[in-house]
Amino acid sequence: MAAQNKVDNESSEEMPADTANDPSAEQKERLIAAVKKEVKQLMEEAVTRKFVHEESGGVTALCGAVEACLGQGLRRRALGLFKTSSTTALLHKIAKHCPEAALVSARVLAAEGAPATRSASGVERRPSMPRPPLCKRGSGSLLSQAPPQSRYLWIRIALFERQLAKIIEHLVTNATRYYERDALVADPDYGSILSSLLVGPCALEYSKAKAPACFWSDPPADELVQRHRMSAGTTTPPSVRRPILNFKRSLNASSDDSSSASTVTGKTGTSSAKDYVESLHQNSTATLLYGKNNVKVQPKDVEEPMPGYLSLHQTAAGLVIKWTPNQLMNGYAESESIDKSLLRCHLVHASACPNKCVLCSVAPCTVYRQRCSGPLCIDCVYWAMSLQVCVWEVVYVHVHRSQASDALILVGQDGVQRPPIHFPKGGHLLSFLSNLETGLLPHGQLDPPLWSQRGTGKVFGRSKGRRRPMPSLCETSETEEVEWDEAAGDYVFRIVNNAIADREAMRHSLLERAVQSPPRTPRRPLASTSTTSSDSSTMSVDCPPSAGINGMPPPTPVQHQPVEQSASIELVCSTMRRQIISRAFYGWLAYCRHLSTVRTHLSGLVHPNIVSGEGAECGLTEAVWRALTDARGAVADRAEVYRRVYYGGVHHHIRREVWPYLLNYYQFGSTAEERAEQDAACRRQYETTMSEWLCVEAIVRQRDREATAASIARLTEQAGKLQPTDSTDAGEVFEDDCSVISDNPPIVSPEPSDTEQKKVDTKPVLSRAPSIDEIDNIEMDADEKDNMKVNGETDSGDTRVDSDTEVHIKSIVDNPDMRRESIAEIKRLAEGIVQKGDGRGLLCSVDSANVNLNGNDARSSLDESQPQQQHTSVIITNPSVDLAAGSPASGGTTATVSPSRSPLGVVREESQSAGASFDTLEPTNDQRPETRSNCVSPASSNGGVYSNELVESFALNLHRIEKDVQRCDRNYPFFTDENLDKLRNIMCTYVWEHLEAGYMQGMCDLAAPLLVTMRDEAAAHALFARLMRRAMDNFPSGQAMDAHFADMRSLIQILDCELYELMHAHGDYTHFYFCYRWFLLDFKRELLYQDVFAAWELIWAARHVASEHMVLFIALALLETYRDVILANTMDFTDIIKFFNEMAERHDASAVLSLARDLVLQVQTLIENK
Amino acid sequence: MSSRKKVLLKVIILGDSGVGKTSLMNQFVNKKFSNQYKATIGADFLTKEVIVDDRIVTMQIWDTAGQERFQSLGVAFYRGADCCVLVFDVTAPNTFKSLESWRDEFLIQASPRDPDNFPFVILGNKVDLDNRAVSAKRAQQWCQSKNDIPYFETSAKEAVNVELAFQTIARNALAQETEAELYNEFPDQIKLNANDNGRNRDGDNCAC
Repeated sequence: MAAQNKVDNESSEEMPADTANDPSAEQKERLIAAVKKEVKQLMEEAVTRKFVHEESGGVTALCGAVEACLGQGLRRRALGLFKTSSTTALLHKIAKHCPEAALVSARVLAAEGAPATRSASGVERRPSMPRPPLCKRGSGSLLSQAPPQSRYLWIRIALFERQLAKIIEHLVTNATRYYERDALVADPDYGSILSSLLVGPCALEYSKAKAPACFWSDPPADELVQRHRMSAGTTTPPSVRRPILNFKRSLNASSDDSSSASTVTGKTGTSSAKDYVESLHQNSTATLLYGKNNVKVQPKDVEEPMPGYLSLHQTAAGLVIKWTPNQLMNGYAESESIDKSLLRCHLVHASACPNKCVLCSVAPCTVYRQRCSGPLCIDCVYWAMSLQVCVWEVVYVHVHRSQASDALILVGQDGVQRPPIHFPKGGHLLSFLSNLETGLLPHGQLDPPLWSQRGTGKVFGRSKGRRRPMPSLCETSETEEVEWDEAAGDYVFRIVNNAIADREAMRHSLLERAVQSPPRTPRRPLASTSTTSSDSSTMSVDCPPSAGINGMPPPTPVQHQPVEQSASIELVCSTMRRQIISRAFYGWLAYCRHLSTVRTHLSGLVHPNIVSGEGAECGLTEAVWRALTDARGAVADRAEVYRRVYYGGVHHHIRREVWPYLLNYYQFGSTAEERAEQDAACRRQYETTMSEWLCVEAIVRQRDREATAASIARLTEQAGKLQPTDSTDAGEVFEDDCSVISDNPPIVSPEPSDTEQKKVDTKPVLSRAPSIDEIDNIEMDADEKDNMKVNGETDSGDTRVDSDTEVHIKSIVDNPDMRRESIAEIKRLAEGIVQKGDGRGLLCSVDSANVNLNGNDARSSLDESQPQQQHTSVIITNPSVDLAAGSPASGGTTATVSPSRSPLGVVREESQSAGASFDTLEPTNDQRPETRSNCVSPASSNGGVYSNELVESFALNLHRIEKDVQRCDRNYPFFTDENLDKLRNIMCTYVWEHLEAGYMQGMCDLAAPLLVTMRDEAAAHALFARLMRRAMDNFPSGQAMDAHFADMRSLIQILDCELYELMHAHGDYTHFYFCYRWFLLDFKRELLYQDVFAAWELIWAARHVASEHMVLFIALALLETYRDVILANTMDFTDIIKFFNEMAERHDASAVLSLARDLVLQVQTLIENK
Repeated sequence: MSSRKKVLLKVIILGDSGVGKTSLMNQFVNKKFSNQYKATIGADFLTKEVIVDDRIVTMQIWDTAGQERFQSLGVAFYRGADCCVLVFDVTAPNTFKSLESWRDEFLIQASPRDPDNFPFVILGNKVDLDNRAVSAKRAQQWCQSKNDIPYFETSAKEAVNVELAFQTIARNALAQETEAELYNEFPDQIKLNANDNGRNRDGDNCAC
């Protein structure tokens, strides 16, 4: 912004002062300032990036500014003949007088006419929106948002062709003809300023290519996709190397039939013109036998013979004579900058023209003439003039020799004469004929033979005057050459095919040769010697007269008789055939080996047997599901279920029923009652586990509060006074904090710490249940562990004591908070116990608690009497109360989960009543022996004894879980606080069960869809646990991710080597890290929820139907869907990361999934076809 | 020419999960704060052009997953970094404590040419919250002890200091970059090839 303002200021300063009076001058000033600004920005961009992308916003903005200038004061009447008053019309108008404008005008027409898709979307719109110039000024930033291709087409093209400045100069010079007198362009100052401003941008280099330097400001992913769809018609199809593995084009083509149809025609048109140019050279399908420039031909309707390039090609179908006017040849090769674009126009035009006969052969140029009107017609005519004659269609070759030149006329089977071909003097005609003759061999010949009895000295020219001479020729020597040159006369040769059958055979063999290994035809090396010059840029192929242009390996001189000749050629042919076959065989062998390697590599990825998707497209609907379920509620036909799910997914209403099967939680064939039992057992299990970690959670909460209190206290302290402690080193600062949390264990020493002693130590909390102490003592004595810790309440006291020893000043401040905390806690506990006490007969504990409470109260009141600390405690207390209210641990403490939180309370009651003793819970503990101590008192759950590591480890996980649960899918209305709580419980339960692995980011994302579907916490947890059996390996601790990447590598390599090469070449991201999230979360973040369900079902069902690694194929399908976009933009690692991150949740999931199935099938077929 | 060539600065944001890396990045690049961000999985990046000392500089800011376990993936993303931003949450002392290990881990994985002088910037995020637990002074001290790393107290939510912090990041990274040019003698040679490739492709694909 700053830069822009600066420019504005500058420009206004430059303006003459008197213009301010004139309103139009002000407008002009603004217009020119806009141009200046855009020019400056564009130049800046060019400097920082070396070159500018054609579609960059700066270009569009500049074009817009220029258009505004040109449109201002444009005389309407000047363009009267045109329908619109746009500046494009102006361009076409001045094209007559200004060569630069003519060029651009031609290009604009070509661009407008070219691809059908584009004209539909962009260009047609242009005339319909005439732009009042007033609206345009100063709106550069707005304009840049328009579709880049369609707007300001001619200005854009003129800019890229570097003609814009000249065109505008022309306009300025002739302004009176087109502009009102007060127009900007007509203004002597502004006009020249405008044209000179644009000189700079016209000198820049514009690039269509995705240059590495301009990646970062490029359009977002969806725009890339859209742009690709629009321009799909103009890109040439990428070559496919291995026919067997031929990969179908991406989805965007198939999804839009109409556009793909037009795409195809566009492609063939374009490519045929391109092919034509290529066919003039030595290439894989045709051998160049002869080439000569400046051969004149007088086409129909042309007064004078025109020079052009004559060439003789050996193709699979036979010999072809081609002549191309110099206008086309030079346009292609000589002055690249301008004429190349001209040729491009031709090509585009030719391709756009529905009648392609020009390129076919016999060339009724009139057709082109009639169809095309406008300036491009001239170029069409050139194309129409070019000759392309298949020699087999020619019967007679007439040779007219005169002093001036040698002419050659081809007469076809139908008696039609081609335009005469005039060779320059100097034996060119002779060498052409000799090449023609050798080219006709072995199956055809010239009658009479041009070459016979070599070296006998007989000369072509001697038989002059005869209608059908018997010309013969010796090697060109000086004298004879002269003689030949001097000779004049007419000769007729007949082109003879030896036999129809022979010819067929030859065609066949040639065809074979051409198809099997075209580049290896022995002809080529020799022939290329003569054609190297044709590959050079000048295109002037001047062949040495009798050098081995024919390229037949054993040159003709050895042969003396025609019969002998053909025999030896037979020999040559058979040798060639053998070579070809052997080469082909070895190629094939190598390919087979490659395929077998591939097969072994890939066979593990898919199932060998292909399951048909017949009738399964609609998926598993409710009706089908009911039909599959028998009277007892059992579903037996698992194969059918899997098959239907694989091909069509599950109907949403029955997902809750089907998913447990898919995740292998329910067994197929199980009855409804069995499943109900299973559910109940699972729920019990879940609740038990949950009650365990809830206890620990309570401890963790308590510690957190203490830690927070400590931190805040420290802060307050620091804020209040600058203590020497503040200057402690940073490392020590950390240590201090740690001490608050973790130095507890040594304090909770294994000493027989009875209640009295603790009370003396002012540890008020612990003693609520004396039984715990006893247990502790027993426990600790037995194990002699000194890292055992009692419970949360104990900690608070401990901490304080601990910190007493270390931070003296702090302890005063800290204590009240903690004590207060613990008091609140105890109060609640006590209440809980009192309430339940009756039922459980644990009255003694209540008593002791009361005792303690009294003591605490006294102490706390003492603390509160100190006014200084009140401030701190207020802060802490509030959150603690909140937490307590929501925390089941504090309320129900032991085993009881508060009903508000989950529906588990009822069951819990049962277990409580079953035995308020250690025995009940001990079995549960035994299941997980290492993670916790085997002694938990149900009566005073907080009295559970857990190792410090365990608590800390769970605390760490708990915090992480809470952070992630809060952030999980909060944009979805489903995830209310209540449901997030469920999610949290699932996570915690799972992590509690797998504490050694712990929580890892991403687990939440995996559990969320399960919860959304199942709604029920326990069921979702059960499914999640099943899901994690496979998914666990994807997380950093497992190996699966690397395996996925490796598999992706080989799959891409085989199925789409072109894409692979791109990935390899551009920073080599074949490590596939950009797929990381895909695999880790099973595409959960890539797709919308509805689609995630479908994708997951596909993955689960595929294990039993097609592939254990369906994720790979979905990933592949995602890549293949956008392969053309990726290729067209030559994306590198960062691009592809950005692209897919931006495309997340925007994919067409059903298309991707069905492509994934296709890919599986493709690999299966590949493996099957041994 | 080399001094005027395009400048791309690769900036890596590291820090414990939930300290606000994604929010900071989005606040800086898109000038908006959302409470809808999910935990970052894998890596993402945004780019923004800034002007540093009259030079247009493109910042490519990489946002990574916060859980340290995912850092094994880091090599792929850290490579070629020009600056590393370490973020902690001023309300969570633990996130401050782990800065040290983030720093070390980064230096190991990215293995910059000159680890001692590699530009870091520390951001103490979420200063808009009341329950602050890490004092500015404490953070400042730590930063001073680590070769005087610049320290900013930011709030991605309220856009406090975010712009300033990233300007500093760009400037420090750019300083590093300019120094690096002395070492790198043939940067353009490689680029030339890349350009050629691009152009060839252009020629092949273009049919208009």
